[in-house]
Amino acid sequence: MTAGDGQTRETVTLTVDGQVVTVPKGTTLLDAAGHLGTRVPHYCYHPGLTSPAMCRLCLVEIEGAPKLVPSCKTVAQDGQVVLTGSEKAETMRRGVLEFYLVNHPLDCPICDQSGECKLQDYVHAEGRPHGRSREPKRVFGRDDFGADVLFYGDRCVMCTRCVRFMNEVEQDPRLAVVERGSRSVIDTFFDEGLEGTAFSGNIVDICPVGALVSKDFLHKQRAWDLDHTPSICPNCSQGCNIELHTRDNLVQRLKPRANLDVNQYWMCDYGRGRYEWINRADRVDVPLVRSEGRSKAMGWGEALGALLEQLRDVTEKGTTVKAVASPFASNEDLSAFAALVTQLGGSEIVYRSPQADDEAVLKGFPRLVRRRDLAPNRTGAELLEMTRIGDDHGEGGLEGFARHDGVILVLGAPLADQDSTFGSDAALYVYVGAHPVSAMGSAHFVLPQTTFAEQEGTFVNHEGRVQRFWPALQAPGAARPAWLVLETLLGELTGGTAPARAEEAFQRLAERSPAFAGLSYRDLGTTGALVNEPARLVGD
Amino acid sequence: MAYPYVSDREVRIVSKFFGDPEARTLAGARKRGRYEALEKALAMDPDDVVQVVKSSGLRGRGGAGFPTGVKWSFMPKNRDSPHYLCCNADESEPGTFKDRELMRWDPHQLIEGCLIAAHAIRAEHAYIYCRGEFFEASAVLAEALEDAYEAGLVGKDILGTGVEIDVTVHIGAGAYICGEETGLMNSLEGRRGQPRVKPPFPAAAGVFGMPTTINNVETLCSVPSIITNGGEWYRQWGTEKSPGTKLFCVSGHVRKPGNYELPLSFPLMELIEDVCGGVRDGHELKAVIPGGSSVPILSAAECLECCLDYEGVAEAGSMLGCASVIVMDETADIVKQVRRMASFYAHESCGQCTPCREGSAWVTRILQRIEDGRGTEEDLDTLIEVTTQMTGTTICVLSDSVAAPVQSSIEKFRDEYLALIRRGERMGVA
Amino acid sequence: MTPPDRTGSATERVPFENPGWAGNTGEFDLTEDQVRGADFVGTRALEGGHPAASASHAYMLEEKDPAAPLFEGPYRERFEKILSRYPEKRPALLPVLNLAQELRGHLSPETMGAVAELLELDPAYVRGVATFYTMYNKRPVGRYLVQVCTNISCSLCGADDVLKAFLKHTGTELGETSGDGLFTTIEAECLAACGFATCAQINSRYFESLAAADVPAVIERLKREASVEGEDG
Repeated sequence: MTAGDGQTRETVTLTVDGQVVTVPKGTTLLDAAGHLGTRVPHYCYHPGLTSPAMCRLCLVEIEGAPKLVPSCKTVAQDGQVVLTGSEKAETMRRGVLEFYLVNHPLDCPICDQSGECKLQDYVHAEGRPHGRSREPKRVFGRDDFGADVLFYGDRCVMCTRCVRFMNEVEQDPRLAVVERGSRSVIDTFFDEGLEGTAFSGNIVDICPVGALVSKDFLHKQRAWDLDHTPSICPNCSQGCNIELHTRDNLVQRLKPRANLDVNQYWMCDYGRGRYEWINRADRVDVPLVRSEGRSKAMGWGEALGALLEQLRDVTEKGTTVKAVASPFASNEDLSAFAALVTQLGGSEIVYRSPQADDEAVLKGFPRLVRRRDLAPNRTGAELLEMTRIGDDHGEGGLEGFARHDGVILVLGAPLADQDSTFGSDAALYVYVGAHPVSAMGSAHFVLPQTTFAEQEGTFVNHEGRVQRFWPALQAPGAARPAWLVLETLLGELTGGTAPARAEEAFQRLAERSPAFAGLSYRDLGTTGALVNEPARLVGD
Repeated sequence: MAYPYVSDREVRIVSKFFGDPEARTLAGARKRGRYEALEKALAMDPDDVVQVVKSSGLRGRGGAGFPTGVKWSFMPKNRDSPHYLCCNADESEPGTFKDRELMRWDPHQLIEGCLIAAHAIRAEHAYIYCRGEFFEASAVLAEALEDAYEAGLVGKDILGTGVEIDVTVHIGAGAYICGEETGLMNSLEGRRGQPRVKPPFPAAAGVFGMPTTINNVETLCSVPSIITNGGEWYRQWGTEKSPGTKLFCVSGHVRKPGNYELPLSFPLMELIEDVCGGVRDGHELKAVIPGGSSVPILSAAECLECCLDYEGVAEAGSMLGCASVIVMDETADIVKQVRRMASFYAHESCGQCTPCREGSAWVTRILQRIEDGRGTEEDLDTLIEVTTQMTGTTICVLSDSVAAPVQSSIEKFRDEYLALIRRGERMGVA
Repeated sequence: MTPPDRTGSATERVPFENPGWAGNTGEFDLTEDQVRGADFVGTRALEGGHPAASASHAYMLEEKDPAAPLFEGPYRERFEKILSRYPEKRPALLPVLNLAQELRGHLSPETMGAVAELLELDPAYVRGVATFYTMYNKRPVGRYLVQVCTNISCSLCGADDVLKAFLKHTGTELGETSGDGLFTTIEAECLAACGFATCAQINSRYFESLAAADVPAVIERLKREASVEGEDG
């Protein structure tokens, strides 16, 4: 087998469930079966952790071998004939599943994991219809581990994924198996708990049952009611691939999505916990036009029409344009903004960006860091030649703006350190935003935009990876993606056409900016791609 | 001398100095020939030492019966990385008490055996892993070891040959599962004593990731005599596949329980009746467990033709294991004893593998319920099926060991179970 | 001398003189110290003696001091000797926990944390290891921890009666410490003294060939030892 780099890799060829498959040398039987689309049931194995082969659920039959072997650890050999669904293997699995249910409480009606539970799934598929145990079940009770984690000991299947995650990936060994035999249970060092850990939320994700649950999510929603939408975490510049789980047009929780280059299978607790702001109900949801000292709600057509008149006016007069953007805006939004500002004769676009005074490294996968940059698209802004001003709180630097008498354009920046007099002297002050802020009080035009969760778009992470996100929520009222509004204005001003879809907006961006040249949504797929010459990027 | 009883049927090789306190002292031991075999072995090439032990046919005396010489030959023949010898003195199998006696009566034999074995496998450090309960025995061993170090028999430049082998007495803290070779290695490394998945095998990656051999105390104690007298000499006793002598630990309802060293293939009934003075006065033999609690129970009828070697006991329907013969007369309450053995396994299960962790506790609870008179006949089928589900599916064989007493007792002593189930009647008192 | 029948029930048995050690078969004469090896071992050096033997000290003692420092003086020496026998610090964990229990009598959370620090291990890890092994006391026990083997060989020879006798004569429930702080009685698994049924391990000593009728004498013997030590100390 010749790999893309031209090197030959050694392979083995074996038969799994009657199908011949060729895999790289060193592949486990579990993964070899996976190549054929067969999912061998397992608990303790996880691709991001070492494999202790102790759950005994993944045992498969090898023709000619006396005992069943754990497929998560057994390496595929040439000529092996493997049966994952033979009578022996199925009988074994049914037996092992029965053992799991001996002490497992019938908590499904009150257990958060219900609907996304590996015990439910496997037992439903291959377990006995009735358990034979008549004995009282052992009870461990509920234990608050600290941080966001609650532990229901009775439900634990002792796969020890949580222990191994803390040991190997977070490398802060807070959890251990204590006691022995059927008295064994997961616990921390007495009251020490998980306080101070930065990634412990991941153990809730990898727990196959409802033993480890999120306190934030406790009894909040049923798993089967949630919609899953692929997205990018908006809380720092790492760009962890995530899913937004939504219901009733609200984000109910964030979960990591696998991306072996960016975040492997994990995300940090800081990012995971910050989604409430996406659900903010206080929204700018209709265009507001200020005339005769009063703000009037208007339809898009009327509002944009009035705005265009003003824009043509200031262009003619050559009025100075000052523009403020936001590192929380998508590349498409920022690119449209930059193009419009240029069209209006402006040159510099500034942005403010919050920064933490430290970073949190996931030691077992050090590419994943909760970055100092606490915004998802600072790199995008930099690539589009915007300039950072202000302090680490994301405040300050706007002294020249507040009383500016020319044009002020704001994209998405909350301007929290400014008051309602901001821009009160401006000839034309346009505020494009999602949430009402004091600083928009004097704006002539307030245009409602969607948040990243309500639009399709891309962010560029700290290392220059352009990654797509998809809309999970319906935008309120008349809110629209900023790129749509701004490209429409631009189109009207230049006599060109505006892109109708985000993909087209990205194409415009690629045409305008050398860093993005040649990229398209198709290239980005679901795991992203690096911009051109990422090494030239400004550091954090 | 003997301890605690003497039988003229015994062939005392490793147990020669039981009951002889002077044998513990270095002077006393040397007077009795200890360390002569060491001198001989150190003058031999390690592979030649392995050959002698291989030719003797000595099989591991800890229960598995794996040929010792063959096990030693798995070790790498170079010294690219440190090799280790572990002496398994974590004797915890119910019914077994031979290693304790070997350690406390003849510690120098064990030390000598460790040194010879370490030389044969090119190890420079031997750890003697004693179970934590062996305070007295390990203290005797430790004292003897100090004497041996002082006399230049252990450590650097042994007997002036330039060979360096260190021996350390390591103490456990109460876990039967640390008698399993990979559990022992984990415990030695300061971890929970949970068995490891094999492969990798200890000879490839054992303690501290280095090539390791684990041998039982009795196995290592057998080595010096084999070196002194040669492999062929050892074969004058026993059978072709099970040569040599074995310490049989007899306990339970016999008149003279104790350790008896006899040639392998000794008839079981002669052991009970002749050597041990028979079942207690006025009582009749009901059942015998020939090899420690992990092997199937034999009914009295099955004992009649049974010869005590690895093949002979297998033919009779059980296993020789560590040759711990537990004798039960008609006063024995089979259900209670099986429940007690099951609860032992449940208590000692390390908890890694689900079938063992959950199954051993479940089986114990069913047996307790039957013993309390609240069992059903369905429970017997459940017990058979559950213990079958526990067999062949786990990392180590503790899980399989639960099946042996449960299944064999239901098969051969079903009436005892039924008496409890149907009438709430126990058929024994002990 | 006819060997006393050691396998009868409690009511048939004739109690041994000086019960609790197994030399009385009538086939030969050995003193208790000779059988136990106590006269050979003598007193062991607190600082560990030869490093090869430094880990093998008794760690279930009568005298316990929950506030004993970890480790000072001769114990510190012994600790260093133990460490020297292993290529890394982790393998010394069990011997060092034994040493901590020898001094303090049981492993409290503080003790586990202190040992973790000494060996540069994580506290949760040390807790996981310490709780795996039966012989680590997680809470204080009486001066004498009586562990009666009730496994099959001893069970066939009256171990349940011996256990009940200990509980009765110390006035405790299983696992409970007597009011005078002297005795805690628990069940133990096979102690490898099956030929001398019933065996009870009391602190660091084996008391073998026990029948229920022997128990009061054993308890008296222990109480005598306790008061003698109390007078000296």
